[in-house]
Amino acid sequence: MIATLAQAGFPEAMSGLTLYHYLFISAVMFVLGLIGFVTRRNLIVMFLCTEMMFQASGIALVAFSRFYLEYTGQVFVIFVLTVAAAEAAMALALVVLLFRRNESLDGSVWSLLKG
Amino acid sequence: MTTLAATELADYFPLIVIIMMAVTFSVANVALTLLLGPKRDGKVKSIAYESGMNPIGTARKRFNVRFYLIAMVFLVFDVEVIFLYPWAVTFPNVDRLAPGASEWLIRILFFLFTTVVAYLYGYRKGVFKFD
Amino acid sequence: MAEKLAYLWPEVTLFLATCAVMVIGLSPSAAVRRLCPLISGLSLAAAGIFAIGTTPTLADGAEGLMPGMLPYAKAIIAAVGILIVMLLAGTVDRGEEEELAAGVRKFDPLRLTSGEFYAFFLFSLTGLMLTASADSLIWLFLALELTSLPTYVMVTISTARSRAKEAGVKYFFLGALGAAIFLYGFALIYGGTGSVHLGEIHHQITLQMAGDGLNGITLAGLLISILGIGFKIAAVPMHYYTADVYQGAATPVTAMLAFVPKTAGFLALILLCSAIGWHYGETGHALPDTIRLLLWVMAVLTMTLGNVLAILQTSMKRMLAYSSIAHSGYMLVGIIAGPGATFTESGISAVLFYLLTYGVMSTGAFAVIASLERTHAERTQTGELAYDEADSIEAIRGLARAKPLLGWSMVICALSMLGFPLTVGFFGKLPLFTSGIAAGELPLVIVLGINSAIAAFYYLRLVSYPLFDEAGDEAGGFITTPMRTRPAVAAIGAVGVLAMTVFAGPLMGLAHDAVQPKLHDSDAPIADEAMPTEEAEPVAAK
Repeated sequence: MIATLAQAGFPEAMSGLTLYHYLFISAVMFVLGLIGFVTRRNLIVMFLCTEMMFQASGIALVAFSRFYLEYTGQVFVIFVLTVAAAEAAMALALVVLLFRRNESLDGSVWSLLKG
Repeated sequence: MTTLAATELADYFPLIVIIMMAVTFSVANVALTLLLGPKRDGKVKSIAYESGMNPIGTARKRFNVRFYLIAMVFLVFDVEVIFLYPWAVTFPNVDRLAPGASEWLIRILFFLFTTVVAYLYGYRKGVFKFD
Repeated sequence: MAEKLAYLWPEVTLFLATCAVMVIGLSPSAAVRRLCPLISGLSLAAAGIFAIGTTPTLADGAEGLMPGMLPYAKAIIAAVGILIVMLLAGTVDRGEEEELAAGVRKFDPLRLTSGEFYAFFLFSLTGLMLTASADSLIWLFLALELTSLPTYVMVTISTARSRAKEAGVKYFFLGALGAAIFLYGFALIYGGTGSVHLGEIHHQITLQMAGDGLNGITLAGLLISILGIGFKIAAVPMHYYTADVYQGAATPVTAMLAFVPKTAGFLALILLCSAIGWHYGETGHALPDTIRLLLWVMAVLTMTLGNVLAILQTSMKRMLAYSSIAHSGYMLVGIIAGPGATFTESGISAVLFYLLTYGVMSTGAFAVIASLERTHAERTQTGELAYDEADSIEAIRGLARAKPLLGWSMVICALSMLGFPLTVGFFGKLPLFTSGIAAGELPLVIVLGINSAIAAFYYLRLVSYPLFDEAGDEAGGFITTPMRTRPAVAAIGAVGVLAMTVFAGPLMGLAHDAVQPKLHDSDAPIADEAMPTEEAEPVAAK
C-alpha cells in the first residue's frame, strides 16, 4: 500500500521522500497551529495559526493526491485556498473594527461577555 | 502523469516566446513614455510614490476606508481567476459535439455571472466612487 | 451535472434571491429597501416548494448516501427559515433608518447594512441546503463554510453594541478553528480511502472493516472531522463560544444561530456516519467501536454540562444557549443509534424530526425575548442608535398577565423544550429514547433520562415566572417592540408547537421515509406518496 513517491515518477534526487514525510510535516504544522491558537493572545497571530492549520490540510491533500496519482486532492486545495482567502478578508475586517473600538489587539481585553 | 525527464529543448520554445514578449512590452513602454510623454515637473510629482499616501508624516494615521474596500474587491476577482485556470486547462479536451458539451460553457458563464453580481454590489455600495 | 441540478433548484432559487437582495438592499429608496425581508421570505417559500417537489431517484452511484433525506431536510430548513426571516426583519439599521426618515442624515450606502444582512442570511441557508445535498467531502466542506461564514458577519453587525462585535470575533475565531480541524479530518479521510465521494468512501470503509479494521489514517480522519463538526453543533469540547455568542448577538440572530449551524452540523454528521455505516460493533448495528466511543463521550458530556450550566444562568439568552448545547447532546444519541427498520428504532429519523421541533420551539422562545425591549434607544460610542432587548430572566416575570400573547407563547415553547408530555418536544424526544434502547445503548438512555429531569429545573423557571409571578420592577421597563413580526413569530412558534403535536404522527412518518436506504427507480413510490402530506408541515408552522 505504501509506495514511495519516487515510484510515482518523482525526480531521482527526491527518491528518499515518502508520503509519510509529507504527512509528518503537515501534522507538525497542524499541531503547531493548534498550540499557537490556544496559547497566543494577539488576534492576528491567532488568525495566522488557523491559516497554518488550513495549509497543513493543504499539504496533506496534495501529498495524497500525488500518492493516488489523481487530481482530486489538488482541486480540493484550490477550494480550500478560496475559503481561506474569504476568511482572511473577514478576519481583517473584524480585527480593524475591533482595533478602532478598543485600540488593542489583545484578545483578553474583551470581557463584556461573561457568565 | 508526465515525468520531468526526457524533455527536448524545443519544448521550451513557447516559454522563450513569452519571455521575449514580456521584455519587449516593458522596454517598449518605457521607451514610448520617454518619447511621447509630456514632460512636466512639479512638487507632487517629485515626491516618493507611496500608493497615493503622503510619504512624510505619522504612519499611524487612519487610512480611508476606500482602501479596504478596494482590497476586498481585488480579493474577489483575484480568487475567481484561480478557478478559471483548471477550467481553461480542461476545456480544450472537451468533445464539442458530445451531448452536454455546452454545459461546460454554461457552468463557467454562471460562475462569471456571480462575479458580475459582486461587481454590481460593489458599484451600488460606492466602492468605485472616488471623491 | 444536469442530474444534480434536478435536486438543486431550492439552492438555485435562494442564490438568485441572494443576488437580488444584495443589490436591492442598497437602494436609495426606503420603500425598496424594506422589500428585502419579503423577498427573502418568498424565496424561502419557493425553495421549500421546490424541495418538496424533488424526488431524488438517482441510481447511477452519483447520489448522496441518504437521497431521501433531501426533500425533508430542505423543507424543514425552508419552514424554520421563514420563521427566522420574519424575526430578523428590521433587526439591523433601525436607528439609521429612523434618522434617514427624519432627515437627520443623508443616504450613504456605506453606512447601511440591511442588504448584506438578508443576503448573508440567504447565503447561510443556501449553504445549509447544500449541506443536505452533499455527496462529496469537497462539497460538504464548502457547504459548511458557506453556512457559517455569513453567520459570523451577521452576529457582528446585528446590533451597534460592543458586545456584538466581541461576540462576532469570538465566534469567528473559534469557527475558523473548527473549520481547520474538520478540514484536516477530511484531508485524512481522503488519504485513507483514496476518494472524496461519500459513496466511494463508504465502499472503501466497508472493505477495510471486512479486512483488518480501519487503517490509521482513515480512523484519525473520521475522529478529527467529527470533533471539528462538534463545533457546529456546539458539542463539548467545542462548545466554549456558545453562551457568549448567543448573549452578544441581537436576539433574532441568536434564534438563527440556534437552528442553522446546528442543523448543518447534524446533517454533516448524518452524512459522515452513513458513509461509515452502522453495521459493526458487538450487536452488528453500531458504528465502529472507536467512533461510537467518541460520540458516546461527546453525547454524555454535552448533555450533562449543558444542562448543569444552564441551571446557573440568570440571563435567558445564556440559559437557552446552554440548553441548546444540551439539545445537541440529546440528538447525538440518535446519531449513535443509527437508522432502524421502524420509526421507534431509527435514531436518524428521530434526529431529523427533532431538528424540526427544536427549530420551531427555540425560534418561538427567542421571539418572545426579541419582542421585549426597553422604551428608549441609547447612543453607542460610535454614534449609532441601539435598542436594548430583554435578557435577564426577571424581564418575563408576570408576562402572561401583562402581555398574554408573549407570556403564553413562552410557556408553551418552554414546556415543549422541556419535553413535557403531550407537547411536540415530548414526541420529539421519545424516539431518541426508543432508538437508543433498540440500539442497546441503555446507559446512554439513562443519562438522557436523568438530563431531561435536570432540564426541568430551569425550563420550569421559564414556565412559572410568566405564569405565577407578579411583575417585578425590572419587568416594568419593557414594552412590546413596535416591529409587529416579532410577536407574530412568537405566536406562530407556540401555535406551531401545538399544531405539530396534533400532526406529530404524519410528520414522524415523513421523517422515517426520509432515511430509508437508497431509493432506486423501481421503489420510488415510497417517496412519491409521502410528498403531498409534507405540505401540511409548513402550513402547520404558520
